[in-house]
Amino acid sequence: MNIKKLGRLVVPYLIWMCVLVGLPLIIMVVLTFLKSNALDLSTAEFSFDSWRLLFSDLTVRTALKNSVVNAGIATIICFIIGYPVAYIVANSNFSNKLIILVLTVIPMWSNSLLRNNAIANLLSERSIVNDVLNNIGLSFIWPIRGVFYDSGFSPAVVIGLVLTYLPFMILPIYTVLEKIDKSLLEASMDLGANKVKTFFRVTFPLSIKGVTTGIIMVFLPSFSGFAIPKILGSGNLVFIGTLIDSRFMNRNYNFGSLLSLVILLIIFGSMALIFKVDKEGETLI
Amino acid sequence: MAKKLIELRNVTKTYDGSAVVDNINLYINENEFITLLGPSGCGKTTTLRMIGGFEKPDSGEIILNGEIVNELPPYERPINTVFQRYALFPHLNVFDNIAFGLKNQKVPKEEIAERVETALKLVSLPNFAFRKVSNLSGGQQQRIAIARAIVNRPKILLLDEPLAALDLKLRQNMQYELKEMQRKLGITFIYVTHDQEEALTMSDTIVVMKDGVIQQIGTPTGIYNEPKNRFVARFIGESNIIEGIYVRQNLVSFMGVEFDCVDIGFEDGEKVDVVIRPEDLDLIDPKGAKLVGVVSSSIFKGVHFELCVMVQEKEFVIHTYENKPVGQTVGLRVDSYEIHLMKVDKE
Repeated sequence: MNIKKLGRLVVPYLIWMCVLVGLPLIIMVVLTFLKSNALDLSTAEFSFDSWRLLFSDLTVRTALKNSVVNAGIATIICFIIGYPVAYIVANSNFSNKLIILVLTVIPMWSNSLLRNNAIANLLSERSIVNDVLNNIGLSFIWPIRGVFYDSGFSPAVVIGLVLTYLPFMILPIYTVLEKIDKSLLEASMDLGANKVKTFFRVTFPLSIKGVTTGIIMVFLPSFSGFAIPKILGSGNLVFIGTLIDSRFMNRNYNFGSLLSLVILLIIFGSMALIFKVDKEGETLI
Repeated sequence: MAKKLIELRNVTKTYDGSAVVDNINLYINENEFITLLGPSGCGKTTTLRMIGGFEKPDSGEIILNGEIVNELPPYERPINTVFQRYALFPHLNVFDNIAFGLKNQKVPKEEIAERVETALKLVSLPNFAFRKVSNLSGGQQQRIAIARAIVNRPKILLLDEPLAALDLKLRQNMQYELKEMQRKLGITFIYVTHDQEEALTMSDTIVVMKDGVIQQIGTPTGIYNEPKNRFVARFIGESNIIEGIYVRQNLVSFMGVEFDCVDIGFEDGEKVDVVIRPEDLDLIDPKGAKLVGVVSSSIFKGVHFELCVMVQEKEFVIHTYENKPVGQTVGLRVDSYEIHLMKVDKE
């Protein structure tokens, strides 16, 4: 009966959204078609330069490639580590499984910049770790930081990404695994599938939703973020995130906006994929 | 002669110190339809799960075809199960659900297709192969679950209250179909239910359980007509149970009157429980009747009336086709062969 009255409660939020999300988005779209000095619209002129650059600039391609390569590798590693963790916790006999999950989340309570700077220090050439390795003659395993390959793969960045985003892989997978009806596993064994077969023919297919969500939740921030590559990538490696950062720093809001929109589209596409796989949104926490 | 297929010897299973299944001895023949019947928590499902291999007995042996199979995992037993909530795989369609077991046995593709089709026909759902499981009704899912089990041609089919979630009409149809299927396929069915009518309708043998202990094993008629104790008499059908004394052979006394009887195996003067089924009591003229009482209530049940008659402070339930008004005095008569005597429970 009071749906209409209750509906009014949404109004402040709608205004908030329009002013702080809608409007900036529109401004971004407009900016991509302009050539301006930062936000100084008095000298701005209409131009397709940004769009042209998007498809012609080699830096954009390199940045996209580097972002995809590192985010991809980080996602794969997160999956390889995260799935077993989720599986073991979901199937354990611990009375309070949540505590174990909270343990994986607790590091997230400290600032991620702080953590990644700490990792950067640990991985730096003059760190205690490197000293120890040098002294026991294992210095050759220390090209982790500062050494880049043509592929754009940076071990240090990947380590940072994995340590930061691993919980986003574990939680959705855990959620689906926990929900799997145990009688399905019994049915599978009853029908002649041993434990390994049961895993690959029942458990894993039923956890695909969580895996998809996990992959997207790790890949997207890894792909679009700029802090971790900036801190751990020694600034030599261009990522899409660092590229946007540098464009805005150079007062080139037009190209920065365009690159941001590209990322936004990729994110929307991925979310659409999540909702297609997981219609009820049950793996999203 | 029927061949022993599976045998449970002194099987015990405890959870948290209390015995759920307590020293059970039972054997099941080939081609038998056997029902484990009892109230919830009586250990019938645990017994079934031990036969299926999902639980291991704490002590005792499960012997299949002469071999002890206590340690054999479910996937190595020639046994399939129809689960209570069907447990169909939601990520597979009907065909793949049914083919699941055959694929595990590495049956060639053409044969799988053939056998799945036959199984679907058997459960009267042809053309359902490529439906999604989630789009099926409860009754259809039930049939698919049965098809998924029998397609593997198991030696034994375990059914854990498979009809519990269906509505009455569907349940009755499925009872006949299951019985028919069992006869056709020649598979041993081990069926678990708490529904005594279901058990009476389908079974060759009924095992009545309570608190993890077998109360009685017998044919449906045997268990109905000759219950061994008060629990069985009460659980299977309705009954009037009266305390009495076995005076001597062919003579029992209860309600202060002596009756002829045919049951034997008691000592003269032994206390016994007398069981009389409601449909075995006949209404007669109070004059000259051994038992006289007053009708205290009358309920129309469709086929019959259910009368309650107070005889000397004791209420008798009677099923009769003719109604009597409440308050009328009636006489009761019972034939000697319909008086069943039981040993008094020790508890």
